[in-house]
Amino acid sequence: MTHPLAGHLEVDESAKTIRHYRYAVERMTRILGGWMALTPELSAKLLMGRHVWDNAQHADAWGKRLPELRAAAQVSEPANPRVVAFLDAVEAAERPEQTVERVVAIYRVLKPHLLATYKSHLATANAVYEPPTCRILARCIEDERRHVAAGETVLRHLLRTPELETRARACEARLWLLLEAAGGVTGAGAVTRVSAAAAFPAPSSDDAAEFIRLEQSTGTWSITPALAQALTAFGDALIAGDTSGARRWLAPDVELGPALDTRLRAAQSTRHAVVAFARVGEQRLVKLRLDGGHDGVTLLIRWAPDGSDWRIAALEAVSASAAPPAA
Amino acid sequence: MERPIAYDKLAREDRLIRMRAREVAQLKIDQGLPPFPDLLSRDSIKERVHGIMVGELQAMEGAGRTVYDFPDAPWEFTMDMARQVWDESRHVEIYVRLLEHLDGYIGEFPETTILWRCACAEDAAARVAGVNRGLEGLACDVFNQLVHIARRMGDPILERAVDYVLADEITHVRMGSKWLTRLTEGDPERRRLAIEFQETIDERFNLGGIRREGPHELVPISIATEARREGGFTDEEIARLIRTTQRSAVY
Repeated sequence: MTHPLAGHLEVDESAKTIRHYRYAVERMTRILGGWMALTPELSAKLLMGRHVWDNAQHADAWGKRLPELRAAAQVSEPANPRVVAFLDAVEAAERPEQTVERVVAIYRVLKPHLLATYKSHLATANAVYEPPTCRILARCIEDERRHVAAGETVLRHLLRTPELETRARACEARLWLLLEAAGGVTGAGAVTRVSAAAAFPAPSSDDAAEFIRLEQSTGTWSITPALAQALTAFGDALIAGDTSGARRWLAPDVELGPALDTRLRAAQSTRHAVVAFARVGEQRLVKLRLDGGHDGVTLLIRWAPDGSDWRIAALEAVSASAAPPAA
Repeated sequence: MERPIAYDKLAREDRLIRMRAREVAQLKIDQGLPPFPDLLSRDSIKERVHGIMVGELQAMEGAGRTVYDFPDAPWEFTMDMARQVWDESRHVEIYVRLLEHLDGYIGEFPETTILWRCACAEDAAARVAGVNRGLEGLACDVFNQLVHIARRMGDPILERAVDYVLADEITHVRMGSKWLTRLTEGDPERRRLAIEFQETIDERFNLGGIRREGPHELVPISIATEARREGGFTDEEIARLIRTTQRSAVY
């Protein structure tokens, strides 16, 4: 039988482990903070926004524990250069269309690994002289469980196509290999993780299902029949390459322009759809997405009422979002 | 990841239409409308709430960038900014729900990124001065007035929710006041530049005379003197802001 005062870690080793935790958690906090502006989807954006503060509190709690272990406060230290390389690889997914990679990196790799590591640490920590560490571990475990569950919910929403599923699996496998090579965030060797299925349902404070609902709450666009008819006719004319038919909708001082005309012809689009509809007084701003051909084109069109009809008062090609409209 | 990112990298879903603030204002003026939505009808309140919602989104993203962009700043600074991210993320949810409450939807009005541009300052002290004191100060003005108007309209949902957001915003202003002082200790030039940046933002958000001192019902945006005081603005700073609103050119 193990002696009640037997332990696994020396004081210095305990401080070192905590610095390793803090390195991973601090970097995760900063990465999530930086990513929000680069992430188009509201559900993923809000997910990250909710968890930045929890993660910062974890890093803070670990940092405050250090002086109690004869170490300097609030110091982060990577276990080895491979941990740094792993987190560099996590951070690299910064393009807007890489939301899936971002969510996978944090919610299917790093957080499940931290959760398993914390649980293992708690299971072996000495209950007599390590309660201050155990309290922090218990809080981190509870939060990470919740985060993993919320992340998985958002990820299931984001993985709309087989291609995205493949990308997610590839990203997970690649990062997992890097984490294994590092020996986990503590560099200690065996690398484990807790599956999302073992995580709790998310409470209302970071209810991922609600984030998804908010992303989908576009409502119904109030498009008058005359404007709907104009939009359809204009889009049809563009797809048919009928420049004069398209010009029929332009206000007298508006030009399609040779550059845009060339781009539209080169795109060889086969379908069009309204993806955004906004109001400025009596005028309407419409994003019309043309795709199905070589290259998609998104037009931002300002429509102005003209008697009982509508005319295009301005139009330009704009860059499309990496995020498709909420399903 | 780049530190800091270019302002045009702000990622959005397709359903949001981004336009320059002055372009939106001009389109309205051309139609004989006020450049900034008033609080006289449910529809104009909805437009204002939509503007606040995208502002909260940008505030969340801006605070998140501050967490990322300044790894060498004091840890307590990062903690305050991380807390602000959490607050702003809840504010986004609150305002999306208020938009639904007002029968609106995300993307019903164009998004202007004037707030986000201000959140891209390269110096941490300038960023907290500009965002936490300049923009969150503006938020105090707008929310304080909205609470009052909601109470007068008999809309307790709007009143209560916005009042809680206002309480958070006062906390953010307080953080800004604290960090402007602490980050510039012993560096008067840095402090001068940060305050100058904040004053540029204050001037910009006076919106050509739309923000000014006066009764909530009569002034498009009324200055929340008491909330600003709670956030750490001195009486002298408040008086100076009021003076600048008096000299701002009308649109």
